[in-house]
Amino acid sequence: MAELYSWLVSFFVLIALLIVIVYQLMCLADLEFDYINPYDSSSRINRVILPEFITQGVLCLFYLVTGHWFMSLLSVPYLYYNVRQYLQRKHLVDVTEIFNLLHWEKKQRLFKLFYLIFLLFLTIFWMILTALDEHD
Amino acid sequence: MGTENPGRPNFPARPAATPFAAAPPQNVMPFSSSGPLVGSEASGFRPTSPAAPQPTVPFSSSGPLAGSQSSGFRLPPPPRYTDPSVPPPASNVPPTGGPFQRFPTPPFPSTVQAPASRVPLVGQPIAQPPAPPVSFRPQPQIPPVPMGAPPQSVNSAPPNVNAPYSVSDSSFPAPMTNFQSSFPGYARMQSNADLQSPPMQSSFPSHQGGYAPAPPTSSTPFLSHQGGYVPPPPVAAPLGVQSRDQMQYPGSGPPGSIQGLIEDFSSLSIGSVPGSIDPGVDPKALPRPLEGDVEPKLFSEMYPMNCNPRFLRLTTSGIPNSQSLASRWHLPLGAVVCPLAEAPDGEEVPVVNFVSTGIIRCRRCRTYVNPYVTFTDAGRKWRCNICSLLNDVPGDYFAHLDATGKRIDLDQRPELTKGSVEFVAPTEYMMRPPMPPVYFFLIDVSVSAVRSGMIEVVAQTIRSCLDELPGYPRTQIGFATFDSAIHFYNMKSSLTQPQMMVVSDLDDIFVPLPDDLLVNLSESRSVVETFLDSLPSMFQDNVNVESAFGPALKAAFMVMSQLGGKLLIFQNTLPSLGVGRLKLRGDDLRVYGTDKEHMLRIPEDQFYKQMAAELTKYQIAVNIYAFSDKYTDIASLGTLAKYTGGQVCYYPGFQSAIHGEKLRHELARDLTRETAWESVMRIRCGKGVRFTSYHGNFMLRSTDLMALPAVDCDKAYAMQLTLEETLLTTQTVYFQVALLYTASCGERRIRVHTAAAPVVADLGEMYRQADVGAVVSVFSRLAIEKTLSSKLEDARNSVQLRIVKALKEYRNLYAVQHRLGGRIIFPESLKFLPLYGLALCRSTPLRGGYADAPLDERCSAGYTMMTLPVKKLLKLLYPSLIRLDEYLLKASAQVDDFKNLEKRLPLAAENLDSRGLYLYDDGFRFNIWFGRALSPDVAMNLLGADFAAELSKVTLSERENEMSRKLMRILKKLRESDPSFYHLCHLVRQGEQPREGFLLLSNLVEDQMGGANGYVDWILQIHRQVQQNP
Repeated sequence: MAELYSWLVSFFVLIALLIVIVYQLMCLADLEFDYINPYDSSSRINRVILPEFITQGVLCLFYLVTGHWFMSLLSVPYLYYNVRQYLQRKHLVDVTEIFNLLHWEKKQRLFKLFYLIFLLFLTIFWMILTALDEHD
Repeated sequence: MGTENPGRPNFPARPAATPFAAAPPQNVMPFSSSGPLVGSEASGFRPTSPAAPQPTVPFSSSGPLAGSQSSGFRLPPPPRYTDPSVPPPASNVPPTGGPFQRFPTPPFPSTVQAPASRVPLVGQPIAQPPAPPVSFRPQPQIPPVPMGAPPQSVNSAPPNVNAPYSVSDSSFPAPMTNFQSSFPGYARMQSNADLQSPPMQSSFPSHQGGYAPAPPTSSTPFLSHQGGYVPPPPVAAPLGVQSRDQMQYPGSGPPGSIQGLIEDFSSLSIGSVPGSIDPGVDPKALPRPLEGDVEPKLFSEMYPMNCNPRFLRLTTSGIPNSQSLASRWHLPLGAVVCPLAEAPDGEEVPVVNFVSTGIIRCRRCRTYVNPYVTFTDAGRKWRCNICSLLNDVPGDYFAHLDATGKRIDLDQRPELTKGSVEFVAPTEYMMRPPMPPVYFFLIDVSVSAVRSGMIEVVAQTIRSCLDELPGYPRTQIGFATFDSAIHFYNMKSSLTQPQMMVVSDLDDIFVPLPDDLLVNLSESRSVVETFLDSLPSMFQDNVNVESAFGPALKAAFMVMSQLGGKLLIFQNTLPSLGVGRLKLRGDDLRVYGTDKEHMLRIPEDQFYKQMAAELTKYQIAVNIYAFSDKYTDIASLGTLAKYTGGQVCYYPGFQSAIHGEKLRHELARDLTRETAWESVMRIRCGKGVRFTSYHGNFMLRSTDLMALPAVDCDKAYAMQLTLEETLLTTQTVYFQVALLYTASCGERRIRVHTAAAPVVADLGEMYRQADVGAVVSVFSRLAIEKTLSSKLEDARNSVQLRIVKALKEYRNLYAVQHRLGGRIIFPESLKFLPLYGLALCRSTPLRGGYADAPLDERCSAGYTMMTLPVKKLLKLLYPSLIRLDEYLLKASAQVDDFKNLEKRLPLAAENLDSRGLYLYDDGFRFNIWFGRALSPDVAMNLLGADFAAELSKVTLSERENEMSRKLMRILKKLRESDPSFYHLCHLVRQGEQPREGFLLLSNLVEDQMGGANGYVDWILQIHRQVQQNP
């Protein structure tokens, strides 16, 4: 049963991460179409960046603790990238250069988005598998 | 074949000379003329005019057409060929007439008229069968000419088959392409060509027929570029040719020789073995911009209603019609805008006040009304030239149209006749009441600032400028000083003495008496004067070595955030306390050459970027004046200026005795020049193109809106455009720069500059229309930006690479028709590009490595170059070098003669005669070089008794003799001609090391110096790379 719960938890964490990323993408898109100004856009994005990084780190750790080393391994590259950005102090969006970096910022987040969706599918797969196992 | 003739010079003459000039005036109405009409005229006119291009053609069908051409190749000849037909309409419709003059060069005619010289070109197949195989090798390799004959023939075939003589315009391009193609594709078509070429030379029409059955070479293609407006009078091919012939002769008069006509490019002979010991280049023959910056005349003549090039310069005024063409243009495609450039007396920008009607703008794209809009429907509607939407003319703005479709009140409407106008903006354009000019001074009073004498000079200068500050009587002014604490000054008008308040809690800044720190100058004038008088003495015993720069900046921001304005920071000590403190960095030699190198050139602390963003948000512009003799991290401080539309002035090792005059002049100019406040700038352009990147000192507020808290005449902005559509269907692209600002007088205004540029389908034409000044300006900004993210080496290489690519592409255009051998060719318009590229690589921000320029100087030069208008940038890159002694010795010479005498010399040490006296002027300083064998008389006259002393300790001042007075007059005159910066005078004697090295020798860009190339080597290197296979 614990197995199933651990998958459920990771499922919801992934959903939360997805929401955060989509929110950032929306801010960027709004900026591109001139619905909000760069100050608001970047402060909104920057507000959720650290929570995103932390949640992702926790998720990775959670996989490890619950013994799902394969999933943990899968989320390590993402974690590594985040940590590197953080150490280089590049993790926050730079309001002064945001328009020049817009393309890159969007690409980066889209990539993260697809990566998370991939993880999400895997999680659902494992979850169903576990549920079936336990059912039997 | 047509492509190679330059013909540039001769077009002006052209329209007049054209037999057609008198021709069909009737068909002129820009948008309205009908096909049948055209046809009938044409037929009456000359026998063979099968092709009556419909007036609509240019708009509708030209797109696909152009596409095919461009994909295939360049299609330069068509436009030329046909243009004779164009003049008549042009003459009828003056406004539209502009465009036509520009494609004057008839490619074909020239072949006809100068058969002899042409032979090798035209008849390549015949002429050179035996030997040349070798020389021709390169051609097949040339990538950009992917379409050899086969694709073309394919291309051309269908139209011909379908409509050999028909009216459809598709047939037009065909012949031309065909024509051209024969050369590039020559190798494969040889047998074919052999047969055909003889007739081709002997008679034009027949040749054409031989190639592709489409005799009616009429003007469509040309029109398609050019004249959306003008229905082309159809011209039959034979006719075209003849007329060409006739006109050509008169036309070719000006250029002088047929050779001049044919050679579209400049070329340099380079020894057959590039890189051998004797390079085979005659250094004297290399092109040098000794005339300074020459604005491209052609363009402004073509579109007389364009704004003056001092406001807007395009890197090429031929806008490519397709993305594939644009991708072959390896130079930047964009513009340099200097919205408030100083206009000479009598050419001021007219101010228009639409009180009753509101400002007339397009409903959809918000374009301002300009000379290129057209009025229709008896004057009730106007068509936007940028998005071609029909707008209603407001009742109060209505005027009848005359017979030619022009408004009858045209001469009273500057906005419809001038490319630059200024509209008075009504309240819809204000977010808040227009702000008064605000000047806030933040002055470092730590011990080093006191010792350098900076405070005294600053205080005196500000005091002397109080009367001239713009915006009397609304001007506001305020002061704060800082060392390890922040001192505010209450200047309330009721006081007699300013009150000083000290805030030493740096962690939690608060502003005492927020309302009285920024005061109205006219009310508190006496308090301000008292303060400025006492400021130098107040701190003269200060021994504080700390600098709480960051907290002081925050405090100043709090004071100013209500209004915005200009914040002038005088900074002398590396920020050491509170937020934003900086470390000593940049003295680490090992960092250079590694991936971390660029980190030295970007702000160390995010605080500065965040502050800059905040400052811009509240309309505060920051000008940084830095004076330290030690490292002060200009890279970080300059960020404040970069994102707020300010500037960085750096006076390394400031000493009031030496640099005082320079600071005084530059600060006074900063305070008194006309400034635009709380402004935003946007540049609009026609459908299909879009500005995508912007370079300069400003912050983007949305994708295409530049926020500029303060703008003045010394600031220019560069931008690059991209094509959004694969194919442009319009013939002209319009650009409109709009700067919305608050003038110092408190009026909200919009300055609008409008320019039109033709769309071209031919790469050669783009090169012909290129503007080297604008290209170099954009280049230098890109290169400097690149130094912020990669190594200096990489930035230099990228400059070189782009030049090579551009020249290679150009060579490929012509290599096929000319046996170029070892020659290097470049377009006439870009002949200085390699030299400026070299000068750019050797300019302070990009040169060498660690030892070649102190980091702070590098950064400040970088920030300065990001703002410079084209002319000043070119002067800085290739300074003038003038020999003075002969002039000084001439007894009777007056300053007036100096103009004639002013002969700029190439910047090479071999031009320095040790018996001479030379003046080096880069727009920022004068270096006067005394030759070792200069007659002692001259030196004594100029320097007085200490003429033999070490010159670093001698200052130049006027002495009691004619020679000295004359020199001072010259210097004064030169300074007056360029008032933006004060030229500080440095004296140096030949052989006086190391001063001679860094003052002069390292700036002689044509000489080899350290690891940097000299001009000859550079040219050879570029040439070698151009010749290399891709």
